[in-house]
Amino acid sequence: MELHQVRYFLAVASTLNFTRAAEQCNVTQPALTKGVQKLEQELGGQLIYRERQLTQLTDLGKEVLPMLERTLASAEAVHRRAQEFQRKEVAPLKIGLAPSISASLVLDPIAEIAKFVPGLHVELREGAAEKLVDLLLEGEINAAMVGDVQDMPARIDDWSLFEERYVAVLAPTHQLANRPSIGIDDLRETVLLERAECDVAPKIQRSYFPDEPPHLGHCSGHDLHLQHMAAAGFGVILAPEHMPRLPALKTIPLEGDPVSREVRLLAVQGRRYSPALDAFVKVARLRDWSVEVPGRGMLHATLPELASAPA
Amino acid sequence: MTTTRTPATNHFQPIDPQPDASPPMPNQTDKTLARIRTELLTTFSAADWESYNHLVGWLRDTDVASHALKVGDDAPDFLLPDADGRLQSFEQLRCNGPLVLSFFRGGWCPFCTAELCALQAAKDEFESVGASLAVVTPETRDFPRQLKRGLGLDLKVLSDVDYGVAMSYGVLFRVPDETRAHYSRLGFDFGARHGSPVWMLPIPATYVIDAGGRIRSAFVEPDFTIREEPAQILASLRQAASTCS
Repeated sequence: MELHQVRYFLAVASTLNFTRAAEQCNVTQPALTKGVQKLEQELGGQLIYRERQLTQLTDLGKEVLPMLERTLASAEAVHRRAQEFQRKEVAPLKIGLAPSISASLVLDPIAEIAKFVPGLHVELREGAAEKLVDLLLEGEINAAMVGDVQDMPARIDDWSLFEERYVAVLAPTHQLANRPSIGIDDLRETVLLERAECDVAPKIQRSYFPDEPPHLGHCSGHDLHLQHMAAAGFGVILAPEHMPRLPALKTIPLEGDPVSREVRLLAVQGRRYSPALDAFVKVARLRDWSVEVPGRGMLHATLPELASAPA
Repeated sequence: MTTTRTPATNHFQPIDPQPDASPPMPNQTDKTLARIRTELLTTFSAADWESYNHLVGWLRDTDVASHALKVGDDAPDFLLPDADGRLQSFEQLRCNGPLVLSFFRGGWCPFCTAELCALQAAKDEFESVGASLAVVTPETRDFPRQLKRGLGLDLKVLSDVDYGVAMSYGVLFRVPDETRAHYSRLGFDFGARHGSPVWMLPIPATYVIDAGGRIRSAFVEPDFTIREEPAQILASLRQAASTCS
């Protein structure tokens, strides 16, 4: 298939009008029609119903549309990068992170794309997954990294990046701190610090506390708050393994690793990717995320402000 | 998490029973790709033959290869992540001399793995004439990493995330339903490999692009079992070098 055929089809899909689509693409209507027909032949079926006044996408048209939009956007992003570069434009990239996703995860990808997108200006926003989905749809953020999401809207593209387990995080003076692993009975008898709006909370509830609720202690929506409270001995946190921790804290695996989750990358379908977003999505989808997970303790180096936190 | 499946047609890889012990297929590199192709074809089952004939016939009938860029065309610019998630730009790849850019279907395809091993064996010779080499796959996630590790490749394996580069070189096609059914039965899930619900593949194609970004040779073959011999690529590189400087 050819780029111009795909452009013609996307113009028809957005205008549902061959005359206007041809104008948009700067070609004659017969040329546009011919290009779309050639694409239909290659894709193995009609993409568009043409019945008198009614122009509509067929099921096949609807099926291939999001992918063709992405492919075209991807092919065109490289030209826009060159333009931005020449005009020395600022390249904003707004990334939403769920509370259980540490900013440490996006540092390396940001450094990587900054080499090629010189005007890169990143803004990080934190929010619950559902809130981030709304922000994506409103165009307030360009991409998001989240854990489990209930009811993902069809307009959101969603790629699984990696899977990680949950571990117990506690003060070295905690009574469970010397265990090689922490079992279900231990957890039932200890105070858990509550992570507000946690997307994995229902899973933890099902795995560990199907009958009676856990002993919940103090609560916060911020991981760092919880870490300080855990370091002060107020209770145990269940945290995703990649999360950087205060040096004062200890990490202990849960017996049998019963809770794990996928970290996912979200972006809005059919929206034109900026060169910065295009590069971010590509790097994220190829990156070896396993480096973030097994190196427990290694991640402190990437967050200097945590190193000076009180013990 | 996901491992590269060995399909029924893939009797090529097990030649080396201890993949970690030594570089894979050391005894294959002196064979031409044409010879390896003949051997691989003898391992085809009836279902493989049927699927092969159908796909190649369909590609010829719809003349998919006619879109492919040709000698003399300007090669489109790109910026793609490699197997380790590091971005590689087209300008940088060709800044010191010609670039050999080869599109392949994926690590699941034995004809592709044979081609990659042959390219790996020829890499030093390409470099000795001042050329660089990059191979392009539609696969994402850890599939390109697994492929490099599995075959012991020291090549720039670029991931054409969302197929934009294959499309701009005109070598992309949607996998026909019959072919999709066949590959599904063999356990290949291109949706998971490519990160896309619509299954697309490139026609295998090898380009030699000069430092100015002009295509100097183009090998585009709808029959996915036929690849350009490294010796032929080397000849094109030498020719490009002699007419460029």
